[in-house]
Amino acid sequence: MISTLRALPTVFSIGLQRQLAYRWNYLLRALFSAMPLLVSWVFWQAVFQTKETVGAYTLPGLLTYYAVLLIVEAVSSPADDDFQISREIREGMLNPILLRPLPYGIYRFFLFLAGRCAYFTAAFLPVVLCFFLLSRAVPLELGSLDLARGLPALLGSALLQFSLTLCLSLTSFWFLDISALIFLVYSLEFLAGGHVFPLDLLPPPIFAVARLLPFAYEYWFPTASLCGTLSHEAWQAGLCLQFGWALGFLVLAHFIWQAGLRKYTAAGG
Amino acid sequence: MRALSLLRLWLVQIRYALTRELTFRANFFAWVIVELSWFALQLAFVGVVYHHVESIAGWSRHEMIVLVSTNQLVQQIFTAFLMPGLTKLPELVRTGKLDFVLLKPVPPQFLVSTAELEIGPLANAGIATLVTGMGLHALGVVPTFPSFLAYLLLLFTGLLVHYALLLFLVSLTFWIVQAESVLLGYYSIFQVARLPREAAFGWFRVIFTFALPLLLVANIPAATLIRGMEPGPMSLFLLTSVSASLFASLFFRLGLRRYQSASS
Repeated sequence: MISTLRALPTVFSIGLQRQLAYRWNYLLRALFSAMPLLVSWVFWQAVFQTKETVGAYTLPGLLTYYAVLLIVEAVSSPADDDFQISREIREGMLNPILLRPLPYGIYRFFLFLAGRCAYFTAAFLPVVLCFFLLSRAVPLELGSLDLARGLPALLGSALLQFSLTLCLSLTSFWFLDISALIFLVYSLEFLAGGHVFPLDLLPPPIFAVARLLPFAYEYWFPTASLCGTLSHEAWQAGLCLQFGWALGFLVLAHFIWQAGLRKYTAAGG
Repeated sequence: MRALSLLRLWLVQIRYALTRELTFRANFFAWVIVELSWFALQLAFVGVVYHHVESIAGWSRHEMIVLVSTNQLVQQIFTAFLMPGLTKLPELVRTGKLDFVLLKPVPPQFLVSTAELEIGPLANAGIATLVTGMGLHALGVVPTFPSFLAYLLLLFTGLLVHYALLLFLVSLTFWIVQAESVLLGYYSIFQVARLPREAAFGWFRVIFTFALPLLLVANIPAATLIRGMEPGPMSLFLLTSVSASLFASLFFRLGLRRYQSASS
């Protein structure tokens, strides 16, 4: 147990070094991530030309949502962890990892943490620049940000996204190529996760269903928590569901891993 | 003559790629579903926004559906024929396998662009065509034959813009060792093409109309179908898309000069 704990900073450091090996690739990724915010600004500006409010949102409120979403994404979304795990399984790179006295899930979690830290650092300046430029055009409602509720929701989102990614990637024990599955789930995450629009713009019956699904707790819930648009009761219930889904996926990942290992064949020296 | 031999070569490559694609049929169906779900996502977005408003920048719900599905149609044709080859360029450069391309007596840009094919997107292009037709039907619009021909020409022009953007982005790989994030860049930047042209303003409108005409890619063909031909915007679109693809081609050649083969 103690040797496992001692190894974790080393795993984190390896993860950081891996990420920073290709700095330009990283910087480009961070720069491009700001593009959807720009498109949202142009699109919603046109929508609000004929109306003062859309749903419960004003234009500054809605753009604050998209701007905060940029931070949520930078902090909690896995980059290519799914493809890395899939490659490790498919190409037999799992062999040396299995020999280490370190549970695979924890090993991957620390690599994920390192990736998020590196990415957030790289994305920090472009995000600040975006906020600055956008706030010159539209008065963003940054004064109402609720960090006390937002930070736990952000942590829960990172845990949920990691556990879901782990579940999906571990199916590589059975399938040669899981990229179609990964992109299919991406599309669900974008639509039902509140990435394309805040989920509370949906008609109420659909919104009620979307709130029961795990995707809502990946983007919409942490963003709405940070923006301070949720009531205390809604936040508490959301947090319970978010951590419940995350725990559920972690347990599921454990069983998939156990079953996958029985199927896995280590070959070579 | 040279163009004819290149076309013949492309057809051979398509036949080879088709055989390879059909070997993995399950993968084909999986990707059809994936692309469909992304298209459904865009249509759902239109549905949600028009649940709250009647019109956006002068575009009604069904006009917006024609715009979004036209964009999808161009994107899917591009994804089928040109995108798979272009996205392999970073890997070819990193591993030095571009050597094999350079050794062949064919322009490298042509070989890189046409080496791969995905047939799944063609099925989705068919669905996008169907949705476009349904949008027009809901609008009560029957395009004239010249408008329809112009639409086809403009779709091809839209492909040039897609090609220019992705060729430019993947050519960055000659300067940046790992350039996998350029694909993310392509998808992020191309969101602009789904916007109604009239919604854009200021420098955003200038850049995405004259420098990289993304705002014209789906807008001009869709407007041609719905409202008939407008020679001014059509000529602008043709001119800017040809310029953009020539610029991207020059950038690729510039990058190629920096390439160091694996054996050197």
